[in-house]
Amino acid sequence: MQFRLEKRREPSRLMSYATPFAAVLLTMVLGAVVFSLIGYNGIGAVREIFLTPLTNPYKWQDLGIKAAPLIIIGTGLSIAYRANVWNIGAEGQYVMGGLAGTGIALLTYGMTGWWVLPLMVLAGILGGMAYAAIPAFLRTKLNVNEILTSLMLTYASVQLIYYLIRAPWKDPMGMGFPQTRLFSEAARLPTIIPGTIVHLGVPIAIIVGLIAWFIMTRSVFGYRMRVVGAAPHAARYGGFSENKTIWLAMLVSGGLAGLAGVLEVAGPFQRMVPGFPTNYGFTAIIVAFLGRLNPLGVILAGIVLAITFVGGEVAQTTIGLPNAATGIFQAMMLFFLLAGDILIKYRLRRVSPQPSVGAA
Amino acid sequence: MELTLAIIITVVGASTPILIAALGELVVERSGVLNLGVEGMMLIGAIAGFVVQFHTGNPYLALLCGAAAGMAASLIFGFLTLSLSANQTATGLALTIFGTGFSALAGSSYSARPVSLMQPLFPSDLSAHPIARVIFGYSFPVYFSFIMVVAIWYFLHKTRAGLILRAVGENDQSAHSIGYSVIGVRYMAVMFGGAMAGIAGACFPLLLTPQWAERMTAGRGWIAVALVVFASWKPFRLLGGAYLFGLVMTMELYAKAGSGPLSAVPSELWAALPYIATVAVLVLISLRRDASTNAPACLGKPFLPAN
Repeated sequence: MQFRLEKRREPSRLMSYATPFAAVLLTMVLGAVVFSLIGYNGIGAVREIFLTPLTNPYKWQDLGIKAAPLIIIGTGLSIAYRANVWNIGAEGQYVMGGLAGTGIALLTYGMTGWWVLPLMVLAGILGGMAYAAIPAFLRTKLNVNEILTSLMLTYASVQLIYYLIRAPWKDPMGMGFPQTRLFSEAARLPTIIPGTIVHLGVPIAIIVGLIAWFIMTRSVFGYRMRVVGAAPHAARYGGFSENKTIWLAMLVSGGLAGLAGVLEVAGPFQRMVPGFPTNYGFTAIIVAFLGRLNPLGVILAGIVLAITFVGGEVAQTTIGLPNAATGIFQAMMLFFLLAGDILIKYRLRRVSPQPSVGAA
Repeated sequence: MELTLAIIITVVGASTPILIAALGELVVERSGVLNLGVEGMMLIGAIAGFVVQFHTGNPYLALLCGAAAGMAASLIFGFLTLSLSANQTATGLALTIFGTGFSALAGSSYSARPVSLMQPLFPSDLSAHPIARVIFGYSFPVYFSFIMVVAIWYFLHKTRAGLILRAVGENDQSAHSIGYSVIGVRYMAVMFGGAMAGIAGACFPLLLTPQWAERMTAGRGWIAVALVVFASWKPFRLLGGAYLFGLVMTMELYAKAGSGPLSAVPSELWAALPYIATVAVLVLISLRRDASTNAPACLGKPFLPAN
């Protein structure tokens, strides 16, 4: 029995929706096998990483606050990748958003008033946008590859945190720890469900995802992004300037990463610390792809990746699985997803070996 | 004089892994494939090299295993992008995420365990004099990197196989129609790039910091990718670029040591400098008129035979 790949006349929508689910399932099955082979409790690892966060209600609040930044950043990245703009420096834009918000929180330290938090959020969005504007400018003016510049700026932004919290923004009463002071009440993100850690960022993430879905499917902006990515030549004839699209894609993805950053620093952290960059910006790349660059898919994918983060922590305490295992499971999902992409354009057809004419 | 010599030796050490990784990526890109997983393959090479050095104490075996591990990792990328024509940008990123996770998991029981650094290649009598030490005082990977610059230049421009590889990168359809296996050539190039990235990664515990640390390559793999663009896909320019970066990174080390005029600037700025310099260098190269014309024409595009 032999199989042959045969080109489909049109890309398969069914496969495009089915492969992300298949990728997650394959990761669970093969992950259990691989981790058993290298001497860990493979089945336990998959159970703790993928199922416990869902079955244990105490973990749901963790899921919410981990999924929120992933969904917000992933939404922005999905819009940029749709337009073939490869912003992979969302981590740096997230950091700059967090730093801009921290700046406002420290300036307004001790003040009260409803306006402090919105001002921080605005600063965070602008901070992320400004940092994404650098690769956008270099790409549109000088044709410098945005993949490399946005990534290099991420490494630089982390050093900026270290500098600011070591010197000018250091907590005067922090006993020498490199961190800022705890934000005052007005600069902290309120929790929305009393007695839990679920903060305002969680509904914001869902709203961002829904708005993005509406814009991408119902507006000229969304049409522009999809056309430029799918058919750049047609887009040029249609009068969509490529440079303007690059700017829009970078600013939207950078601004959303900045939003996630400021929500994170005002919510779970409530101060700037060296451990602020937690790789949400890189994990959101997986979220965007697993969500098929579709905002509704991104919401689902953000929850899936949040499950692996929360589950990874569970597995660390219950079965002693090193935290790094989470990253392997996440990368496996992306590998299987990318491998499955071929089924969108091709179909697998069984070919029965033909008896050759000359034989007999 | 002593200080100058010490600086030269540090620069050579810092430049070598970047040069080796970038040379591998140069060959990959010349075949028309963009593998953004260099950083991940380097980390896998680093942990493989570390573990072998830790258990056997044989640095040559460590380099070899680093190469094998990097090559194995590159095969994941090769299978997805070449056999299944998956998106190269996304697959490269996935490989880096995988390499980061894999190396952290494999290295989780080795933290704070020292290994011994690789010894110089030549007997110590040869490098007794300070000037002689600048020439003869390095370990094997340093000389290997120089030889590879010449070897890759020779391969690409003076051999038939190199011509085929370039043809595949410049015009895959023509190469295919005159009977060359585009996918086969690209597999070879990707595996070579993986082996070089693995060796480059193994240089970190063997040459620079004799222990395992998570993410110890610290973005050097990405700098190597940027250097290939900077060098306009030419091996000798890569040599210059890698040493320029080695110099920048060495300045950081001396600034952190905390003496002299360099320490007046915040140490974080020095730590950020290699990355800012990469951006600056990419900008400079884009200002040159021939910048984009040197890129292999098929770079990053999946190959699908027309018929």
